[in-house]
Amino acid sequence: MLEGLGNVVVKEVKELMRDPKILIGMIIVPVLMFPLMGFAIRISMQTAVESVKALSIGVIDQDGGRYAQMLFNIFSNSNLTVIRLVATSVEQVAKDVQESNMTAVVIIPADFSQNITNDKQAKVYVYGVFRGTGMAETAGASAVVSLVNGFSKSLALQKVGNIAILDPISQSQETIVKGKVVSASPSVLSTLVLSQHIGLPIGIMVLLVFAMQIAATSVASEKEEKTLETILTMPVGRFTILLGKLAGSVVVAAVGAVALVASLNYYMGSLTFISPTQPSVDLASIGLAPTLPAYLVLGASLFVALLSSLALAIAVSSFAEDVRSAQAIVGYFYFILFIPMIFLMYADISMLPLTLRLVLLAIPYTHPMLAARASFTGDYTTVVLGIVYVTAFTLVVLYIAARIFTTEKILTMRLRLRRQKLKREE
Amino acid sequence: MVYAVEVLDLGKRFREILALDGLTFRVEEDKIFGLIGPNGAGKTTALRIISTLILPTAGSASVFGHNVVSEASEVRKLISYLPEEAGAYKSMSGYEYLQFMGKFNSTDKRDLKVMVEDAAAISGLGERLRDRVKTYSKGMKRRLLVARALMNKPKLAVLDEPTSGLDVLHSYHVRGIIKKHVEKHGVTVLLSSHNMLEVDYLCDRVALINRGKIVAEGAPAELKSRYKALNLEEVFAEVAGLA
Repeated sequence: MLEGLGNVVVKEVKELMRDPKILIGMIIVPVLMFPLMGFAIRISMQTAVESVKALSIGVIDQDGGRYAQMLFNIFSNSNLTVIRLVATSVEQVAKDVQESNMTAVVIIPADFSQNITNDKQAKVYVYGVFRGTGMAETAGASAVVSLVNGFSKSLALQKVGNIAILDPISQSQETIVKGKVVSASPSVLSTLVLSQHIGLPIGIMVLLVFAMQIAATSVASEKEEKTLETILTMPVGRFTILLGKLAGSVVVAAVGAVALVASLNYYMGSLTFISPTQPSVDLASIGLAPTLPAYLVLGASLFVALLSSLALAIAVSSFAEDVRSAQAIVGYFYFILFIPMIFLMYADISMLPLTLRLVLLAIPYTHPMLAARASFTGDYTTVVLGIVYVTAFTLVVLYIAARIFTTEKILTMRLRLRRQKLKREE
Repeated sequence: MVYAVEVLDLGKRFREILALDGLTFRVEEDKIFGLIGPNGAGKTTALRIISTLILPTAGSASVFGHNVVSEASEVRKLISYLPEEAGAYKSMSGYEYLQFMGKFNSTDKRDLKVMVEDAAAISGLGERLRDRVKTYSKGMKRRLLVARALMNKPKLAVLDEPTSGLDVLHSYHVRGIIKKHVEKHGVTVLLSSHNMLEVDYLCDRVALINRGKIVAEGAPAELKSRYKALNLEEVFAEVAGLA
């Protein structure tokens, strides 16, 4: 019944793979997307850590006493590079400092140690150096302030001898994940999870958009290149040609899906690298990174969603006369990709009103996004039902596409996008 | 007697346009039959119905006794259709294209090899067959497509304007291919053209078609003498009431 299918599939794959647009869109972009996002996160964090190390500050010690020396040692033992300056006022060194790479200048005044000894409030002058180079330049001054605060607190503790008086309430922040207590603060975790919630729907949407573009061109390019009529008179079933086209696109799309999931895995790995001030959290160790079954379910869901979007793109673009019209027609369907992406980026589907939830569930592309979250939510039932639903949806679309293919409509239907003229009313 | 093509009272309406209006003709086996007429006469519509691409709205057509509507898949095994405006897959080389199309006719490797070698010879494109189709000139592409249409030695080759858009040299080559191939392999050809010279040279029998109807039919020489004309162009002008 499907004699000649292999021939059509091989031709489709060959044609698709030889088109540089498709190679870039389907394979290279998904492969690079998540690693790039992960790389961006990693780099920005590393830069933050390294920039603190590279910071240098100037210290003018006018006191020379015991406590001034202690403070100086605290600066020296931190990540900061400390340069000792000699001056009677900051104005004397201001010009040189501005031209150096120092980011802050600290003046320890002459009465510093004496005031502390006499239980009076001692003062430290901190000058940040402004050069207009960006957010990182305040880091030096901030580091000095937090070091001085720490020193101040420890001195107070020495004098009072009881931390409870200085800090009557202390907080321990931990999180319960899947019934287990994890020693990470909720804010750290939510940052991690948020980055995944935003990244995944975007990734899936990009993949689907490219897949639909590919499939849309497969029939239209045959019309445009005038090869469709010839192939339709060959001794091969029309449904076979349709399936061959679909299968050809699927092979390319499946490579794209695998690339996306692999890329995602790398991205999840880069998310475990946490900011220098927070304790490091490994998503896998607390059960929030997708496990192998989770990846399989995600892969399956992604695959059927791809299949449905390809079938839909082939069906609707069959009416188009040329490639450009086909891509434009398919473009109208992108908004149904955007809807689940927008909602699922910012909301939990179970929190949405019932009508909206049903609308979202009716859109096939919602399901891979839900599948991507199953490792968080543990809601595999919805995911499996989603796969069944999307498969049924695909079969219906395929049936309609097959009906178009087996009639003369595939040749006689003319859908060209004309620019609409606006008539001015007189 | 079973005709290679038998078209009876064929009609085709596209909404308000009547493209074919009771078209009737028969093509005998091993002959070259030409449908000639001006643009919009209905030649292409008739060939597309015979090639199972579109459905008639009246009458019937059959190829070697097989109805083109009810036995379309049988008909597709017997015919080879070359549309007027046809292309080949740009990303493929000439060889790959011939192989891809050949596989629909035979999956046997030896058969396929012979078919592709024949096609290569017919096309006369030589080493250029290794290049991608997108590098071909219009004439080269047409030669590739004609070779494709004839390579499987179909029982019936339906050629819509086989030399459409070609210069004198390429047209000459293509006409030569068709004539030689028919003589050698006994292929029946149904072609359309508005090049009267081409039809005169190639066809055993011609039908003049105007506004979806046959207005005259016969061997070229017979038609010329019947209408006391020097060439088929004059015959056509006479019967179409243009003279």
